[in-house]
Amino acid sequence: MSILTTTDLGVAFSTESGTVDAVRGVSLHVEPGETLALVGESGSGKSTVALAAMGLLSGNATARGSAVVDGHEVVGAPETALRRLRGSTVSMVFQEPATALDPLTRVGAQIAEVIRNHGDVSASGAAARAVDLLDRVGIPSPAARAKAFPFQLSGGQRQRVVIAMAIANSPKLLIADEPTTALDVTVQAEILELLRRLAADTGTGVLLVTHNMGVVADFADRVAVMLQGEIVETGGVEDVLLRPQHDYTKRLLAAVPRLAVAPAGVGAPAGPVPPGASVGSVASVVVPDGRHGAAPVVDLRDVSVAFGRGARAVHALQGIDIAVHAGETVGLVGESGSGKSTAARVALGLVKPTSGSVHLFGSDLRTARGRDRRALRSGIGVVLQDPVASLDARMSVAECIAEPLAVHRRGLSSADRRKRIDEVLDAVRLPRTLASRAPRELSGGQRQRVSLARALVLSPRLLVADEPTSALDVSVQETVLEVLRELQDDLGFACLFVSHDLAVVQQFAERVVVMRQGVIEEQGTTDTTLLHPTTDYTRRLLAAVPVPDPVLQRQRRAERLATLAAVDA
Amino acid sequence: MSAVQIAPEAPGTPVVVASTGWRLAVRRFRHNTLAVIGLVVIVVIVLFCFVGPFLYPTDQTHTQLSQANLGPSAAHWLGTDAVGHDVLGRLMYGGKVSLMVGIAAGILATVVGTLWGSVAGYVGGWVDAVMMRVVDAGIAIPALFILLVISAITTPGVGGLIVILGFVSWLVPSRLIRAETLTLKNRDYVLTLRAIGGSHARAIGKHLLPNSVSTIVVAATFQVADAILLVAYVSYLGLGVQAPATDWGGMLSAGLTAAYSGRWWLIVPPGLAVILVVCAFNAVGDGLRDAFDVRGR
Amino acid sequence: MTTALYLLRRVLQALAVVLIVTIVVFCLLHALPGGPARGVLGVSATPAQITAFNQAQGLDQALPVQYLRFLGRLLTGDLGTSYTLNEPVAQLIAERLPKTLVLTGISAVLGLVIAIPVGMWQAARRNGAVDYAATALAFVFYSTPAFFLGLVLIIVFSQQLPWLPSQAPSGNTLAEVFQDPAGLVLPVVTGALAMIAVFSRYMRASTLENLQEDYVRTARAGGASTATILRRHVFRNSLTPVVAMLGYYLPVLFGGALVTEQLFNYPGMGLLFWNAAQTSDYPTLLGCVLVISIATVVGTLLADVAQSLIDPRVKAGRA
Repeated sequence: MSILTTTDLGVAFSTESGTVDAVRGVSLHVEPGETLALVGESGSGKSTVALAAMGLLSGNATARGSAVVDGHEVVGAPETALRRLRGSTVSMVFQEPATALDPLTRVGAQIAEVIRNHGDVSASGAAARAVDLLDRVGIPSPAARAKAFPFQLSGGQRQRVVIAMAIANSPKLLIADEPTTALDVTVQAEILELLRRLAADTGTGVLLVTHNMGVVADFADRVAVMLQGEIVETGGVEDVLLRPQHDYTKRLLAAVPRLAVAPAGVGAPAGPVPPGASVGSVASVVVPDGRHGAAPVVDLRDVSVAFGRGARAVHALQGIDIAVHAGETVGLVGESGSGKSTAARVALGLVKPTSGSVHLFGSDLRTARGRDRRALRSGIGVVLQDPVASLDARMSVAECIAEPLAVHRRGLSSADRRKRIDEVLDAVRLPRTLASRAPRELSGGQRQRVSLARALVLSPRLLVADEPTSALDVSVQETVLEVLRELQDDLGFACLFVSHDLAVVQQFAERVVVMRQGVIEEQGTTDTTLLHPTTDYTRRLLAAVPVPDPVLQRQRRAERLATLAAVDA
Repeated sequence: MSAVQIAPEAPGTPVVVASTGWRLAVRRFRHNTLAVIGLVVIVVIVLFCFVGPFLYPTDQTHTQLSQANLGPSAAHWLGTDAVGHDVLGRLMYGGKVSLMVGIAAGILATVVGTLWGSVAGYVGGWVDAVMMRVVDAGIAIPALFILLVISAITTPGVGGLIVILGFVSWLVPSRLIRAETLTLKNRDYVLTLRAIGGSHARAIGKHLLPNSVSTIVVAATFQVADAILLVAYVSYLGLGVQAPATDWGGMLSAGLTAAYSGRWWLIVPPGLAVILVVCAFNAVGDGLRDAFDVRGR
Repeated sequence: MTTALYLLRRVLQALAVVLIVTIVVFCLLHALPGGPARGVLGVSATPAQITAFNQAQGLDQALPVQYLRFLGRLLTGDLGTSYTLNEPVAQLIAERLPKTLVLTGISAVLGLVIAIPVGMWQAARRNGAVDYAATALAFVFYSTPAFFLGLVLIIVFSQQLPWLPSQAPSGNTLAEVFQDPAGLVLPVVTGALAMIAVFSRYMRASTLENLQEDYVRTARAGGASTATILRRHVFRNSLTPVVAMLGYYLPVLFGGALVTEQLFNYPGMGLLFWNAAQTSDYPTLLGCVLVISIATVVGTLLADVAQSLIDPRVKAGRA
């Protein structure tokens, strides 16, 4: 018997602006021991299905149809019945480890609570079992860690605690709602490995909700693709990912940036190897390329940035060298805490380095003053990550785009300004009518393109983009990146592109700089560095990125585990 | 007195969720029954105080001892006071002063607090630390204590009273606005502006202030509520306007002794008036805050 | 950051605040008619005596120098001499302050003990009939001037229904004051009602916010009931900002004590202050302002310490 069966499940939300039909007639099943991935972009309703299966929908939602978990009907069930199921028969792992735990209760106690919810277990007995569970999910020194508060643990460790809470009572069904989206890619690989191992050990069925095709290829046995509340395609993971039938699935898979990997078994690097490159070196490899001018557009030399003072100072950057030349795109990659965003802010002049120098268009930012400094700044365009916060909601789209003009070209007539706004809107492929709208009325992808338009309005020589597409759906991301590439080809500006997504950087940048904890691990052309990395860290980073091809991913996973085992041995 | 809108930067600093469209805010406000009632009450009382005397004219300057201390009757709907003034008429007359002083002082407090708090929040560093220690010191001295000390030194006119009340009240809005400024200062659109060379003046004028408007308006509403309450206290403390002018607080303190001897009409009407108006402003402030989604109280 | 370091930082901040308060009091002292000379020599001092005094005391010196001497006198506990009662102000305050603290303390505890559960309950039953009623009552009570509230209570409970005395028990020591607890009921209730109104709103708002948090959903996914979630998780998380507010509400509480003591004739510092204002007894007035402000700063510090005990993130600077 299936562990989860939904039949024509539907969910409607009543909001201030009317009723929204988030889920419309979804029928799926999960068998014991198998993993079903529920895939879709934002608004597809996949998370709503997951919450409905637990009876955890918010107060303004009404569910219809049927969802049967281990023989128990969940839709319309009374709260007491649902409580018996939650945490024992079916449990859930959520997306945001930062907020998923009670900040004022020790983690061991939170796990013990789940245990005691479903059994007459003594406090000490539950505490002991909690320590066991922490061990099972791979937390070192579990007895000591059990007494820690959530804020003392890293994101990955917090997610392990949430998983420990989820498996505490050996559930038959585990629902994971984007369990690794908020985590770094190496941590993601570990967490997925953990989940897979736990599910295999206990024969638990898993409903995995995600938008990441790589994760699907890594983990799932079967896939169901959702679009606007309905399932449009379902099947085995190899069938759906390698031989998609539905148009939407095809488009979705085509839009996913794919990390090109060196064929398995190739060891020696093909191109020139930077001399003396090793873990933690600051080797500066400037590979000559026809397009470069003589002086770099932006040049960070031996830049260090420390926040705070004394022993408790956080060293965000330690003696890094980054140069971007005219017309080239440099990708800045790294995990959280690598300092890549800080480096971008130093280049923008938003953060003053504690030591080292920053040269923008040849002039030292430290000595440039007043009007000269402002003139330098007019050559920069900026696109930041959050589409909501990047535009001031009180201004119309036209005003947002025209802001750099208001700062640097005061004398421009309103007709000329209007013309320029229209030009950049065309360049980013947005309709001119959008100019009079408010940002609130635009989608995320449109907002980022408006942000891009604003960055281009002064014809910048340098564009700094900090995770410009990370908050967007993959199909929208494709459009924005296409537009960006086109514009760079046409206008020839230099680009400093910060991202945590190696596949995107590989497609987009000519040179890549890999950062870790404030230092540069290695630098080089994208092909050399990402296909034939020279440092262990970069190799591990690349190995951890899941690719949307199940067959290939299986191979990569095996290799990766073999490497890790070899290191431990 | 209860100065209620003291919001320190508790964990989870106040945030104005970017742009609730005006239409959505108005709709939310309309659905908040208490807030709408509050608004209606304010309008009614303002009309009562300013238009009322034309419909119910009374003499509030000359005493008429022959008519003193009469209970409510057809001729004097709420009776008369110790010197013969009609109480209902006095309620209107005093109401004008209470409302005007309260509203003016509330707005003054908000303006000063906004300036102080936004400068402290925007500049940051040691300037912020010093400015906020000054605010902490001001908050530490109970307002009623200061007012009583001032009453022992001087007797201000209406203008002076407004200034004094504003002076003891600007501290609380400054904390609110400072927290707001800190949040807004780090918004992406402000960072982008600074990165491309925009000036501080532009950041403040074009981005920080317009986006703070809802917080400021909510703060101002609560400040007015508090100021009107304070006005009721000041006469009790001996700081109020001089006879024959009066305000509700004055009526209350003048009638205090009378209350014990059963002449309820001397204190119940002004007391209820104060409670009603302050309640109404608080309800409207609450409603505005929910409508704009301002957190922090 | 360890507790010790956190405490040190807060204490230093508190000292800075107290210093600023002394500056304010000093300025007020010099704004008074007659200046500080009167404070020492008394009301009947002649102009000649004042000039001689000023010279002897160095009051014709620069203000910063005078301020330092003023600060010095404060540190030795010298707050001047009362004009009317002819006793050292410090002594008067030392007699009266404990009584005020006891009265405000009882009001505060009573207020919190009622407000916190009521606020949480309101949040759990949001928009129900009781929630609306409690909200409306809260609005009314914190919009009411304390002296009016006290008056109404006296009329209802002392005159119409002769249940409680209308005056607080007089006496110089705490023991005497407590001999007739019935006389304390009305003053305490007057102070507590406003506090209940304010803090139940805070608690309600804080609880509502916390009910939206992710950890509530995680707990529910683990099979916990709403009651358990409220008790074990939401309560403590909602309490933290409310405790922080307590520090800022202290001046309001003391201001209320001023009015309540006068109305009920309770022999505390508030009544001392009130009488001093009626007789223009400046040394007493300013001494009281100083002491009460320091009491507030200490209270805020204690509230912060309490907050750091509930919430371990505060010490780490990551609240």
